[in-house]
Amino acid sequence: MLEISDLTVAYGGVIALENVSLSVPEGSITAVLGANGAGKTTLVRTISGLIKPRHGSVMLGTQQLVGRSPEAIARLGVGHVPEGHGIVSELTVDENLRLGGLWRRDRADQRVAIEEAYELFPPLRVRRAVHASNLSGGERQMLSIGRAMVARPTALLLDEPSLGLAGGLLAQIMQRLVALVTERKLSVLLIEQNARSALSVADQAVVLSLGKVELRDRADRLAGDDALRHAYLGF
Amino acid sequence: MHLFLIYTVDGITNGMVYAAVALALVMIWRATRIINYAQGAMAMFTTYIALIVIRHGAPYWLGFVVALATGLVIGAVTERVLVRPVESRPPLNAVILSLGVLILLEAIAPMLFGGQTQSFPVPVSNTDLLVGGTSLDISPFALFTIGAVLIAMLLLFLVFQRTTLGLRMRAAAFNPEIARILGIRVGRMLTLGWGLAALLGALAGMLAAPSVYLYPSNMDEVLVFGFTGAIIGGLESPVGAVAGAVGVGLALSYVSGYVGSDLAPLGGFAILIVVLMLRPQGLFSFGRQRQV
Ligand SMILES: Nc1ncnc2c1ncn2[C@@H]1O[C@H](COP(=O)(O)OP(=O)(O)OP(=O)(O)O)[C@@H](O)[C@H]1O
Ligand SMILES: [Mg+2]
Repeated sequence: MLEISDLTVAYGGVIALENVSLSVPEGSITAVLGANGAGKTTLVRTISGLIKPRHGSVMLGTQQLVGRSPEAIARLGVGHVPEGHGIVSELTVDENLRLGGLWRRDRADQRVAIEEAYELFPPLRVRRAVHASNLSGGERQMLSIGRAMVARPTALLLDEPSLGLAGGLLAQIMQRLVALVTERKLSVLLIEQNARSALSVADQAVVLSLGKVELRDRADRLAGDDALRHAYLGF
Repeated sequence: MHLFLIYTVDGITNGMVYAAVALALVMIWRATRIINYAQGAMAMFTTYIALIVIRHGAPYWLGFVVALATGLVIGAVTERVLVRPVESRPPLNAVILSLGVLILLEAIAPMLFGGQTQSFPVPVSNTDLLVGGTSLDISPFALFTIGAVLIAMLLLFLVFQRTTLGLRMRAAAFNPEIARILGIRVGRMLTLGWGLAALLGALAGMLAAPSVYLYPSNMDEVLVFGFTGAIIGGLESPVGAVAGAVGVGLALSYVSGYVGSDLAPLGGFAILIVVLMLRPQGLFSFGRQRQV
């Protein structure tokens, strides 16, 4: 369970998130929707420890994440697939995957986890020795998700994984993700501007607007309610 | 033709010393986007410490090991104590910092070690090898110099490319933020990177001192030549830096041999100035934007 309460974040004097609370139960996906600049990236970067909040709390299970360093938060089980993939383009595909679990002591399981990532995204296997800079957009996204999974996280933060992906490929990746979520009991926070695809896989949805939670509901209800959809998501 | 051979061997030998400095500069540049102008002064410092050890009756090799170990520590401490606080600041702060360390080290060295020029021992003879009465135009110490730098480079290559520690260090240098969200303790990696770079510099100091002698600014020229080599290599590429530095060594050796030895240092500065002019972006824009 990932539980965010009363989170407020400011850049200098400008508030980017204001008293945001939301929770992501185990084995479920919470979509965070909202327009450009709503504060979605700020939210996941704060959870990851890259931004220090003014106040508020982020609990992963019984652990308080606020106040810890990003590396400590990663080691507590938070996987982050950053906006724009965040793969290290100077390294090979295999090196990128290995990076995901380097901090773990269990070397044997690390190898198993890398194998699983290749099974999850077979196109990566044939590209394993290739520099990540040569990957297509879809392959980069697979690599970034695969790399986060190698650490065997309990919470997964996905920041606009659909960016730059063709619809078919996105659906494929999402399908694999949904299977993982139930299998691994992951708590997934899925950031999306593309509300349609996010709502189709999410359990619940939160709409952020100018840093505040504007709406929170079950994903299927939000997707099915034309009035809500028009008002908050514009489709 | 014979002279050419002699100058070439000299050039390569000196060039390998510059290459060690160039490689150290590139390692630090890649990890922290700082030109470590104090690289030479740090090496001077560790060489003095080796000299003290040797003067106290210890064998050369103990002095050698102590110098490299001291280099590792000085580099690591410099990163942790001085560089870390300016890392997120404008690049000029880092420039001033590394110049400051240079001036500081060169100022306290005379107080600690005395300012006069000292000769420095060699572990093996530095007169040219003779085989059946003909000179091979290369001394055992020159062979040692070339071999030691090659071995150091090979070891560094293996550490960076073949170990998980090296993978962590590369990730931390290429993309610190991504490395951190993957659980890599970037700070430690940078500290270690500075330490290894200073160790390489310490090696250069030990290898240069028998010919340039030991005094508080004895590594200034070596730093400039290594820096020139690193810039020729593009500052990002270890292989480029080594090639550039050996090129500088050769060029200086030819100038000094065919034109006049007084002109060699001038020749070095001339190369540097030409290279910098050919790079109109200036010193601060080498860092291409990293792609995420
Ligand atoms: N580093 C920063 N410094 C100052 N302001 C920032 C910074 N990063 C984001 N902001 C501001 O904070 C607000 C929220 O930005 P954020 O990137 O979290 O939005 P987002 O919902 O992820 O947008 P997008 O859909 O474009 O990715 C915006 O007004 C943005 O301009
Ligand atoms: Mg964003």
